[in-house]
Amino acid sequence: MNWKIRRFGQAIFTVWAVMTLAFFLTRMMPGNPVDAFVARVGPELDNPQEAYELAEIYMNINPQDPIHVAYVDYMASMLQGDMGMSMSQNDSVAAIMAEAIPWTLFVMSWAIFIGFAVGISIGALMAYWEGSKFDVALTGYATIITSIPFYVLALVLLITFAYRLNWFPTSGRRPEGVEAGFNIPFILGIIHHAVLPVFSMFVASGVASLTMRGNSIRVLGEDYLRVARLRGLPDRTIAVQYIARNAILPMYTGLMIAIGSMFGGAVVLEEIFTYRGMGYYMIQAVRARDYPLMMGAFTVITIAVVIALLIADLTYGKIDPRAGNEDHDAF
Amino acid sequence: MTAFQSDATTRTNDDVIVELRDTSVEFGMDRGTSKVLNEVTTEVYRDEILGVIGESGSGKSMFASAMLDAVPEPGVTTGEVIYHPEEGDPISVTDLSKEELRQFRWEEVSMVFQGAMSSFNPVLPIKTHFVETLSAHDYDIRRGLTRAKELLSDLYLDPERMLNSYPHELSGGMKQRVLIALSLVLDPDLLVMDEPTAALDLLMQRSIVSLLEDIKEKHDLTIVFITHDLPLVADLADRLAVLYAFEFAELGPSERILEEPAHPYTRALLNATPNLSAPLEEMRPIAGESPDPVNIPEGCSYHPRCPLADEECETIDPGPYDAGPDHDVHCHHWEQSIEDLDIAFEETSDSGTTASAVEKASGDPLVSLSDVEVTFGSANDGWLDFGESETVTAVDGISLDIYDNDVVVLVGESGCGKTTLAKTAVGLQTPTGGTIEYRGRDIWEGASGSTLADKEIRRALQIVHQDPGASLNSHHRVRTILEQPLKRWHSDLDGNDRRERILGMLEYVGISPPQDYIDRYPHQLSGGEQQRIALIRSMLVNPDLILADEAVSALDVSLRVGMMDLMIELQDTFDTSFLFISHDLSNARYIAEKTGGRIGVMYLGELVEIGSAERIIHDPQHPYTKALRWATPELEVDQVAEESPMRSIDIPDPTNPPSGCRYHTRCPEAREVCATQTPEFVDLGDDVHAQKSACFRAYDDHEYWQSESITDEHADANVGTDTDTDSGVTSESD
Repeated sequence: MNWKIRRFGQAIFTVWAVMTLAFFLTRMMPGNPVDAFVARVGPELDNPQEAYELAEIYMNINPQDPIHVAYVDYMASMLQGDMGMSMSQNDSVAAIMAEAIPWTLFVMSWAIFIGFAVGISIGALMAYWEGSKFDVALTGYATIITSIPFYVLALVLLITFAYRLNWFPTSGRRPEGVEAGFNIPFILGIIHHAVLPVFSMFVASGVASLTMRGNSIRVLGEDYLRVARLRGLPDRTIAVQYIARNAILPMYTGLMIAIGSMFGGAVVLEEIFTYRGMGYYMIQAVRARDYPLMMGAFTVITIAVVIALLIADLTYGKIDPRAGNEDHDAF
Repeated sequence: MTAFQSDATTRTNDDVIVELRDTSVEFGMDRGTSKVLNEVTTEVYRDEILGVIGESGSGKSMFASAMLDAVPEPGVTTGEVIYHPEEGDPISVTDLSKEELRQFRWEEVSMVFQGAMSSFNPVLPIKTHFVETLSAHDYDIRRGLTRAKELLSDLYLDPERMLNSYPHELSGGMKQRVLIALSLVLDPDLLVMDEPTAALDLLMQRSIVSLLEDIKEKHDLTIVFITHDLPLVADLADRLAVLYAFEFAELGPSERILEEPAHPYTRALLNATPNLSAPLEEMRPIAGESPDPVNIPEGCSYHPRCPLADEECETIDPGPYDAGPDHDVHCHHWEQSIEDLDIAFEETSDSGTTASAVEKASGDPLVSLSDVEVTFGSANDGWLDFGESETVTAVDGISLDIYDNDVVVLVGESGCGKTTLAKTAVGLQTPTGGTIEYRGRDIWEGASGSTLADKEIRRALQIVHQDPGASLNSHHRVRTILEQPLKRWHSDLDGNDRRERILGMLEYVGISPPQDYIDRYPHQLSGGEQQRIALIRSMLVNPDLILADEAVSALDVSLRVGMMDLMIELQDTFDTSFLFISHDLSNARYIAEKTGGRIGVMYLGELVEIGSAERIIHDPQHPYTKALRWATPELEVDQVAEESPMRSIDIPDPTNPPSGCRYHTRCPEAREVCATQTPEFVDLGDDVHAQKSACFRAYDDHEYWQSESITDEHADANVGTDTDTDSGVTSESD
C-alpha cells in the first residue's frame, strides 16, 4: 500500500516537474518566447500595453509579473486545464488537443495492438520452429525491418499504395462529404484513411516478434516446462499457462511504454500522412513558433507516459505474482 | 571374499520393478555421435532404494530419464526399458504411444529433478500445480488434495500455507519438499530422484534424505536416488551402483560397495571423497579426467586412469563379473583390485596433525576484523520515498583475526553471511559498521565509494571465485588473462619474462605442456584447469590473503582433493593466507586439518564457534556445530540412525532474526534464558587448541542450567514472533 502511494507521489512529481520545466523554458529560453511574442504583436496593436494582456491569454504568463507570481498563475491555470491559446490555430490549446487526441489514439492504438498481437503470434511460431527456414527468414526480416525507421517505410507505402496505385487516400483523416457520425460510410472512410498509417507502423515493428521469440525460447528451456510435460499436462495447458504466460509477461511493460509514448511516436507519422492528430499539430506549432500549443502538446505527452507507466507498475503485480507485494518497479 | 549374506539371493524375477536391457542414449553432435548412456543392462528391485553414484558427465541423469523414456530432445533412447507393474503384464516403456506414456509417467514412475528451484511455474500458485496434475490424469481432485496435504505434513510443511503460496515465496528446501509431494500425489510405485538435493544446504540435504526413508515405508515406494555425493546415500541406499563414463562400473549391496569395492574406480572414488573420519594422508585425487562422450576409450573406459590397466583392458570391454552375491563388477582384474588397491576407509582415532592454530595466532594479525557489521537493503531514504525500510543484517558484529600463513575456513548454511563476511575481510564489500585492518591500517581509510584507496592493500587481498568458468573472461586467451596481473603489478617485466613466468606457473600447477595451454580460451579448458588458471591469476599478484569462495564446490568429487592439495601447496610456496568458504564440513576439515588452520562456524550473521579442525570435528561445543556435524554424512552403511539434532528444519527469516541466541528456535538444548540473553564467546582453549564457542553451555556455572527448557514447545511457535533485538555476539557499535 505504502509503495503504491509512493509510486503515485512519484508520478505527480514527474508531471509537476515537466510543467515547471515548460514554464521556465518558455520564460527563460534564449530569445524569450514571451518577449518575442510581445515584440511581434505589440506594434500591430493600438495600445502596445495590450500585448502583455494578450501574452497572458495566450501563454498564461504575464511578462510584467515577477517570476514567482507568474509561475503560480501559470500552474494554477494549467491545473484548471487552461493551456492557453494557440497563436497559429486561433483556438484554445485545450480545445485543439481534445479534438486531436482521439484521432491519434485511434491510429496509434490499432498500430500498437496489431503490432503486438501479430508479433507475439509470429514470435511464438518462430520459437516453436526454432532454426527452421521460417524462423531464419522471419528473424532476418524482423532484424532488417526494425533497423529501418518507420517513416522511411511510411513514405514508401504512401508512394506505392496512395500515389501510384490509388488504393488509399494520400492524406487526411476522414472522408470528404460524408456526414460525421455513426454511419457506415463514415466509419469505413475513417478506416480507409487509417489503414496506411497503421500498416506502416505495424510493418516496421519487428521488435515484438523478436522479443517474443527470445522469451519463448528461454521458457522452452526451463525446468518447469520439462516437469509439466512429465506430469502429463495437456498440451494446451502447457502452451497457454506455461509457455505463453511466462513469455508474454516481460513484454507487458514494453506494451505499456509503447502506449504511453504513442503520442510522441505519432509526430512524424501524422506529418507524413497529413493526419490531423496530436503529432500533426505539434509540428505545425513548432513551424509557427506557436509556443502555447507546443507546450500544451508536450505536457499532454508527458502525462500520457506517466499515466501509462503508473498503470503498468500498479497492475504488474496483478499479473505477475513475483512482483506482487514487493518493492519492485515493473521496468 | 567373506561369506556375505543378503536377502538379495532370495530375490526372484517378481521383485523386479524396472529392467533396462542394452539401453543407450545418443545425441547427434557436430563432432560425432555422443553416447551419453552406453548399453546399460540392469534391474531395479521393488521396494529398494538404489543409489546411483556418478561424477558430472557420467550419464547419471540420462539413466534417470531413460527409465521414464523422458530423454530430452534430440536425444534418442535405444534398447529396452521394461516396467513390471505389481499386477498385470510387463510394460515396454520405450514402445508406449504418446498418450500411454503420458499416463504412465507420474502414475507409475515419477521423477524429482535436480532443478527443484525452477520446477514450478512461477506465475501459478502451488495448489494449481497439484490440481492440474490430478485433473490431467483424471484423478479425483478432492481426494488428491487430501493426499497432497498429508504428504506435505509428512514432509514437515504447513499444507495450507504451501498450497496457497507462489513458488517464489518458498525457500529452496521447501520447494524441494513440495516437489517430492507433487511427485507422489498420484501414488506412483517408483520414484526416480536425479540429484534432488544438490542445490540445497547440507542440513537441508540431510533432513530431506532422512525423511525419504519414512516416506518410502509409508507409501510402498521404490526409490532410485541419483547423486554425485557418495556419502549422502551411503546409509540410505540398499544397493549402490557406480556409473563411470556412461556405463556401470560396479553394482552391488551398499555394504559391499563401501567396504569391499571391486572396481578400481570405486576404490579410487572412495579415496577421493573428502569425509570426516578417514585419515588425510589416505585421501587422494584420481589422476586424469573423465572421458569425452564423443570419444569413449576402447575396451574398459576407465583404463586411461586405471593403475591396473593392461592390454586386455584397452581392447576388451569388461563384461559383468560376479564378485559375490548380487555384486557385479565391470573389471577384468577385480580380484587383483581388491588385493592391491587400498581404500582409505579404516577409521583412525588420531590423525597426527599438529594443531598450529595457536602458534599462528601469535604475533600481529595480517587482517583484523573487529565488530564488523554489514547490512543490506536500503533504509528509508526520505525524499518522496514513503516505503518501509527493510534491512537484512548479513554480518552482525563479528571480530576475527587472520594471521600470516594462516588458514580460516568459514562454514555455514547459505544465507548465514559467510560470503559477505569473507568479502568484507578482503575489501570487496563495504562494512556498515566496525573496522577491517590490514597490518594495523584501516583498509577503508580514505576510500571513496567501494574502491580501496590503497592499491597496495588491494593487491594484498585477492579472491578466487566459486565458478571458474564465469570468473575468466571467455574472450581472452589464457596468456592474456594471466598477463594482466603481471602488467599491473610487475611492470618491470618485459614480454619474454612474463611469458616465462606464466609458463612456469602453469607447469607448477600441473598444466602441461604449458605451451599448448597458453593460447587456449577458457572454454577449451576443463573445469579443474579453469580453476587452476583462476588460482594462478590471483597468485601472480603475490597477495597476502586469498579468499577462496567455495573454490572446489564446482569441481568433480574426484578432483576436489587434488585442487585442495594444490592450494595448500601454493600457500606454502607463496607464503599467503587463505580464507576459505565452504558449505561442506568435509572439505573444511580437509583444508583446515592439513594446514593446521581454524574452522569458523557461522549462523545467521554471527560466528558461533571457531577452533582448530580437530576440535570442531571431534569435539564440537556449540549445538549448531553438532547439527552440522550430524548433517555431514560419512562413508558408512551402519551409521547410527540418529534423530535430527534440530527442532525445526527451516531456517528463521533473516530479516527478523530470533532474539537472544539466534539458534534457540532450532536448538535441542535451548532453555528460556537463550531466548532473552545473547551468549558471548567463551574461550574453551586448552594449551594446544584454540576453540571458542558462543553458547551458555560452555559455562560451568550459568543461570542457563537453572533455566526452564523450551524445547517442548512447538518448534515453530517462536520463529518470527520475537522482535529483533539486534543481538550481535559482540555488537556494540551501531
